[in-house]
Amino acid sequence: MVQASRQHRIYQTLGWLLLALVVLLLPFWVISTQSIQIGGNTFTLSLGNVMHSLSYVVAVLGLGLLVGFNGQLSLGNSFFIGVGAYISATLVVDNGWGFLRSLIVVLPVTFALGVLFGIPALRIRGLYLALVTLGLAAVFPAIVRLEGLSERTGGANGKRIPDGFAAPEGVPLQEFRQGLSNIPGIGEQFFADGRLGTRAADEVWTYFVLILLTAIAIWMVKNLIHSRPGRAIIAVRDNETGAAVNGVNLPMTKTLTFGYSAALGGLAGTMYAMAIGFVAPDVFGVNLAIFLIVGLVVGGLGTLSGAVIGGFVIVFVPVWTSQVKELPGVSERVLSGPTATAVLGILLIVLTFVMPGGIVYGLRRLRARLITIVPRGMSPAAAAAAGPAAVPVDEAAAVAMMDRHSGHASSDLQPETETGSVSVTTKQGSADGN
Amino acid sequence: MELLLARLFDGVSSGATYAVIAVALVLIYKATTLINFAQGELCMIGSFIAYAFAVDVGLPVIPAVILAMVMTALLAAGIERTLIRPFDPSNHLPLVIITLGLLLLINSVAGMIWGYDPRRFPGVFPDGTVFEWGVARLRWYTVGTLITTIVLLVLLSLLLNRTKVGLAFRAVSSNLESAALSGVPIGRTLQFGWALAAAVGTIAGVLFVSDPFRQIEPTFAARVLIFASAAAVLGGLDSLWGALVGGLVIGMVESMLIGYLTFIPSQMGLASAVGVLIIVLLIRPNGLFGSRRVERV
Repeated sequence: MVQASRQHRIYQTLGWLLLALVVLLLPFWVISTQSIQIGGNTFTLSLGNVMHSLSYVVAVLGLGLLVGFNGQLSLGNSFFIGVGAYISATLVVDNGWGFLRSLIVVLPVTFALGVLFGIPALRIRGLYLALVTLGLAAVFPAIVRLEGLSERTGGANGKRIPDGFAAPEGVPLQEFRQGLSNIPGIGEQFFADGRLGTRAADEVWTYFVLILLTAIAIWMVKNLIHSRPGRAIIAVRDNETGAAVNGVNLPMTKTLTFGYSAALGGLAGTMYAMAIGFVAPDVFGVNLAIFLIVGLVVGGLGTLSGAVIGGFVIVFVPVWTSQVKELPGVSERVLSGPTATAVLGILLIVLTFVMPGGIVYGLRRLRARLITIVPRGMSPAAAAAAGPAAVPVDEAAAVAMMDRHSGHASSDLQPETETGSVSVTTKQGSADGN
Repeated sequence: MELLLARLFDGVSSGATYAVIAVALVLIYKATTLINFAQGELCMIGSFIAYAFAVDVGLPVIPAVILAMVMTALLAAGIERTLIRPFDPSNHLPLVIITLGLLLLINSVAGMIWGYDPRRFPGVFPDGTVFEWGVARLRWYTVGTLITTIVLLVLLSLLLNRTKVGLAFRAVSSNLESAALSGVPIGRTLQFGWALAAAVGTIAGVLFVSDPFRQIEPTFAARVLIFASAAAVLGGLDSLWGALVGGLVIGMVESMLIGYLTFIPSQMGLASAVGVLIIVLLIRPNGLFGSRRVERV
């Protein structure tokens, strides 16, 4: 298939339509289907978890911008998520603001905090940066518990946000659901009960608002990555010296990326507060910081859609593993323990070995086996030579960051690809990052 | 004055334990220029194994600790062989991610086996005090920890400077390629480094939890890791004795800050360690005793 040919466009449009359909129907399906039975285990599905995941999608996206695209290893993004969540919570509860209005405060504050931490990060690099930011993540719960602050933050008990989002009048959520349950065949099975209570309707509405916020965040990061500043961000990751020689302002690029990443973290925090309606200090500690790294690596470093996968994985894997009550060959004692963390740890290690580019990269390789998308103007012979290995160069570099054998991401890219095809893909340039 | 002395003693006793874990970090760093994020968990699992031998099996404490050291050393050697060695040592990102994965995994395994109820660790040192002066009490625990730390450091220095294994270790840490060309078995030497660090880490963990004021539970590791890495960075990440000084300083800073600046609540001890870490890295990234790193932009 030739890139941007009519056929390719049809496939793409169909793909987007399918995604939109899933996004639209998901909340109604989740509300009707409370749980899935597999063997003796019940896995619950709740819209709360889906919304929780959406907030982590944005969090992983922010972390991915910093780690995957800029190459600065930060373990402290949970700090900014916590700041965002707490600012929103106090503004909504104590000052009677709306969640979306609280973003006016959250985004600049977290951006400024990010820039503030980004400045020392110019001198503190690599492992040291990871260490310092991990310390930051560890300190956050203690800050929330500070006596001076606990009046507003609720201290160790956390802070409940009683009033969530209310679905506005006149949005036909009810009727829509009624309609879905009347679809012959499918309706009965997937959208059985046509009634939608007020609480459920509010939840569905919140879900759509969160979806919108997530989509805006992804769209903005995508635009950033494909713009001139975005290429500077990537160039810094691939080769700092080279980037500087080509006129990239290193300190500016790195601190600003820290700021963007932190602001996305703040947005994720606000979304978390909207989704859960409760903030507690220990949610935003070291564990979340490491879970975000898990999400990033599982989804795929240096990809945008990886954040979507990663966000859902770090919510649903823990929820579902803790619901496994019987598994042949494993004692109940083990299953009642902290299996979720163990599974995420194993996932992290195994993926680093077998699929260093994450699930997204794995899926792309799978797709490349089925359909080959060839850049326009490339001869079929060259396409055959490039084969399934024809991966856009900047993505290949992202995968190489995790590679077992190459120490320098920018050096020997794709040794098995012929030089000719690499240059063609380079010319094609803009990696489709989604 | 009494109060100052009391805080000094507090600082020394926690500082010495941070120092030992910092030594474990330094050992790994010297060998691989990697910070092992799972080191705190290795300390924790080591002290739990010692606990199991001492309480569940009923061995005396010292043999239990030695057995635990052997077991964690074997565990760490296994980890190095299976999870670390397949990766290029110069590419840090996947290695850091592997150690983070280990952090999660080891922590949850300990949680599955021993649960999260705090338990009392049988003390290695006698209870009670060496001498008392008002509120200032020098406990046997403090003296014992400090002496153990110093003896441990002397032994490690001897091991690294006077034995053939130590020579190989130093060769690998100073230049991996030259060491390989001179016939030093790189893999096995690094494995030895991991095992040694885990054994030292076990001692550190045991020292930490045998304080009568502390209890043993799987979550103590993460907190300790931050303190210890601040200590290690302050001392210079590749200096053993620097780790001791760094640990003592961090311990002092913690106890003095919380003691004297009353508006700083006690949970902020961790923040003081992070603060020291940031300041050191900004002002003197090589730490107090670290060897200079050449950095190119």
